[in-house]
Amino acid sequence: MQNIIFGLVTGSILALGAVGFSMIRQTEGFLNIAHGQYLTLGAFMGIVFMQDVGMNVFLAGVLTAITIGLIGVVLARVIFDPVRKQGALVLLFTSVGLAYAIYGLAMAIFGTGVKLYSVDFGASFDVGSASMTVGEAVIIALSLVTVLGLWLFLTFTPLGTWVRAVATNPQLARVRGVRIQLVSSTVWFMSAGLAGLSGMLLGVMGSASIELGWHNILVILSVAVLGGVGRIYGVVAAGLLLGLVMSLSGQVIEIKYQTTVAFAVLVLVLIFRPEGLFAVQRRREQTA
Amino acid sequence: MSGVIPYAVSVFTLIGFYAIVAMLLNLQAGWGGLWDLGLGGLLGAGAYFFVLATATSEAGENLIFTPGWPMWLAILGGAVFTALVAFLIGLPALRLRGEYFLIVTFAFAEMMRQLVVNEPNLANGTVGFTELQRPLAGSFAPNDYKYFLLGLIAVLVVLTYLLMRRIGHSPYGRMLRAMRDNEALALALGKRVTRRRTQLRVFSGFLFGLAAPLYIWHIRAIVPAMYGPDITFTTWTVLVVGGIGAVAGGVVGALVLVGITEALLFIPVSTEHVDLLGGSKPFLLGLALIVMLRLRPDGVVTERWTFRKDRGPVAEGVKKRIQTVVGT
Amino acid sequence: MPLLQVQGVTKRFGGVTAVNDASMSAGEGSITALIGPNGAGKTTLFNVITGFEAASEGRIVFDGEEVRGKKPWQVARLGMVRTFQTPVGFPTLSVWDNLMVSGASDEAESLWRAIAGRRAWGPPLESVELRAEEVLRDLGLWDRRDRLIEDLGAGEQKLVEFARQLVNEPRMLLLDEPASGVDPVGIGKLRELILSLKQGGLSMVVIDHNLGFILSIADTVYVLAEGSVIAHGPPDTIAQDPRVIETYLGQTDEEAA
Repeated sequence: MQNIIFGLVTGSILALGAVGFSMIRQTEGFLNIAHGQYLTLGAFMGIVFMQDVGMNVFLAGVLTAITIGLIGVVLARVIFDPVRKQGALVLLFTSVGLAYAIYGLAMAIFGTGVKLYSVDFGASFDVGSASMTVGEAVIIALSLVTVLGLWLFLTFTPLGTWVRAVATNPQLARVRGVRIQLVSSTVWFMSAGLAGLSGMLLGVMGSASIELGWHNILVILSVAVLGGVGRIYGVVAAGLLLGLVMSLSGQVIEIKYQTTVAFAVLVLVLIFRPEGLFAVQRRREQTA
Repeated sequence: MSGVIPYAVSVFTLIGFYAIVAMLLNLQAGWGGLWDLGLGGLLGAGAYFFVLATATSEAGENLIFTPGWPMWLAILGGAVFTALVAFLIGLPALRLRGEYFLIVTFAFAEMMRQLVVNEPNLANGTVGFTELQRPLAGSFAPNDYKYFLLGLIAVLVVLTYLLMRRIGHSPYGRMLRAMRDNEALALALGKRVTRRRTQLRVFSGFLFGLAAPLYIWHIRAIVPAMYGPDITFTTWTVLVVGGIGAVAGGVVGALVLVGITEALLFIPVSTEHVDLLGGSKPFLLGLALIVMLRLRPDGVVTERWTFRKDRGPVAEGVKKRIQTVVGT
Repeated sequence: MPLLQVQGVTKRFGGVTAVNDASMSAGEGSITALIGPNGAGKTTLFNVITGFEAASEGRIVFDGEEVRGKKPWQVARLGMVRTFQTPVGFPTLSVWDNLMVSGASDEAESLWRAIAGRRAWGPPLESVELRAEEVLRDLGLWDRRDRLIEDLGAGEQKLVEFARQLVNEPRMLLLDEPASGVDPVGIGKLRELILSLKQGGLSMVVIDHNLGFILSIADTVYVLAEGSVIAHGPPDTIAQDPRVIETYLGQTDEEAA
């Protein structure tokens, strides 16, 4: 039971990180390997806001998300826009370059050491046979609230509708007058912002180091692929599921193999069901 | 000033290594179209096999495998082993397209690395090995070995270049590029695409395995951290900058990239600035990749230039011979 | 016995039936046409016949051999070769290289011979080189043999598509929209080329939207609509068939709107 709780907590953090990655894949069309570095930046930004500026954890969280979100937009316009027309693989390798550049900068600025958050998780309470702290409950709740907010935004706001339009059919969206650039910036803001938040939560739960990004990019990739890249709610479900699987597998296999389990699951899913676990069957029709 | 020469030797040895690996990557990825992000895993497999095969029980008390093979056998065995690993990874991976192939190869490399880290009885976990066998180590004074290694690598760079050039300008190489350009058409013309790709995987794996020990002979140690994303992405950046699809791409890229970044690392700095300097290498690497892809994605040496003379009937002499025989 | 026999072929994708119980046959040395509106299932049928898609039901017999279930490369090696709607070809290779790749045998393209050098891979290629030169000269492409495909114009690319398939001396050529995007002058030359190939003994199955072009070259015409064969026969009969006219008129009305 304790494992289930832990699995839900890590799963929700992973889900937050993966949703943004998945959105970019859907609307921009490529796998943004630099996404992992947004997590790293978030982890350190949070500490900066809390320790250097003296904010409480909630305010720091909000500001971190916004800051990283803005950075994401700027980077997208400066780095990715000029190479858009060269296709998905060039964009992917550009994102690799960006990931390295950010990693190098982070090393220069923050150093190679590990930094810790000092956050009080609050009182523990019992859930069945296990215990959970208030902080952990908050994290799970936060993820659910964020997803809910995302759903509300996408379904009920005009901008959100535009985002969905571009995600489904970019050419049609352009013809119908959707402002592609605005949608693109919005999606980048949300993607990077969520990544920053996710990174900060990872830092809160564990520690902040510049290796955070590289450690998690594969797991995030796994979550995104599992959820059926592009199906936002599928990704959330996949995040939670993977978190649970990794945590529960600790009963059977040793903890140190948890990420290996995640990757094995990824490979198996890709072989047998490349469209993801939760994707609706959509077959291409051949036109004569 | 006397410290400069050993530094230069070290830098050029590393340049040589990356040149070789990038040229091998070009065969698989540049011409074959198999975008392998699991390169680190393959090099690690070959290197670890070499170390374990030559290990005797003195190397570690808990180790499972310590056969104590002679070096030449270990190198060959490593190459075969790496070919096998590449084949096994290829079985699921080759069914997937583009990005998914990248992800799966990347995932497998990570899994292998974690296996080594998690099982200390296999290969000493994160501690690794520092006592390594190196060819002809006994014939040189410890300080002079590096010159031999540099010479050895230089020769191997030339050999690799010649081999790659030969393969590239052959019908086999042409077929690889055709399959890469338009798989459906290749199939429609009767090419056995899957079989060819598997063959390419195995052959590349074999070559990577042969090249793998060079790295540990240079570093003089082996730990799992050496075979993470770092070595993979560095090689890819070297190839992209130098010119993907060009035989000389690996050499040029290694000279430019590795030369600059490694040379920087040898600037002596105070402890305050260590991280700054350490961060400069990935930063420059990343920047180089971004800029190159934006300005000259074909690389310094382009594929088009490499094959500029290959476009028309090659065997003019053959044709004349046939004409005289047939009487045309 | 006809060279190609398709009997009761059905192809389903999930809930959609793209091809429904289609039957056709193409005799040796003849030109058979497949026409029909967009989405009628013509290219799908091609894909199924050549092994790019698996048939859900039915039989496909080529030259007396059952080819349903064979892989695309196997079908090609039996002598049935197809073209693609967009003749992208192998863009980074030259015209000459495109043909050489097409005609080269497994032996010539062996990895071992590549390592061994030109002395090893040269001889198996000699006959292919002669054939390639022959085809290029016949099609008037000889002077452009060293140009890269991606540097050629659309019309030339289509011609190269032909040349590439011809190098292999196939028994049957399946042409997917050879006339699309070609100007009237080009279509005239295309007609000449196809008829001369037919004279040389090549059998062809052609998909195209250009009714005039089709009717002027075909021996037999099959009409597909919504996955089923709704009519077949000689061109004159088909041109007058009310069902065909209705299908095509319906199409042009939509296009006009």
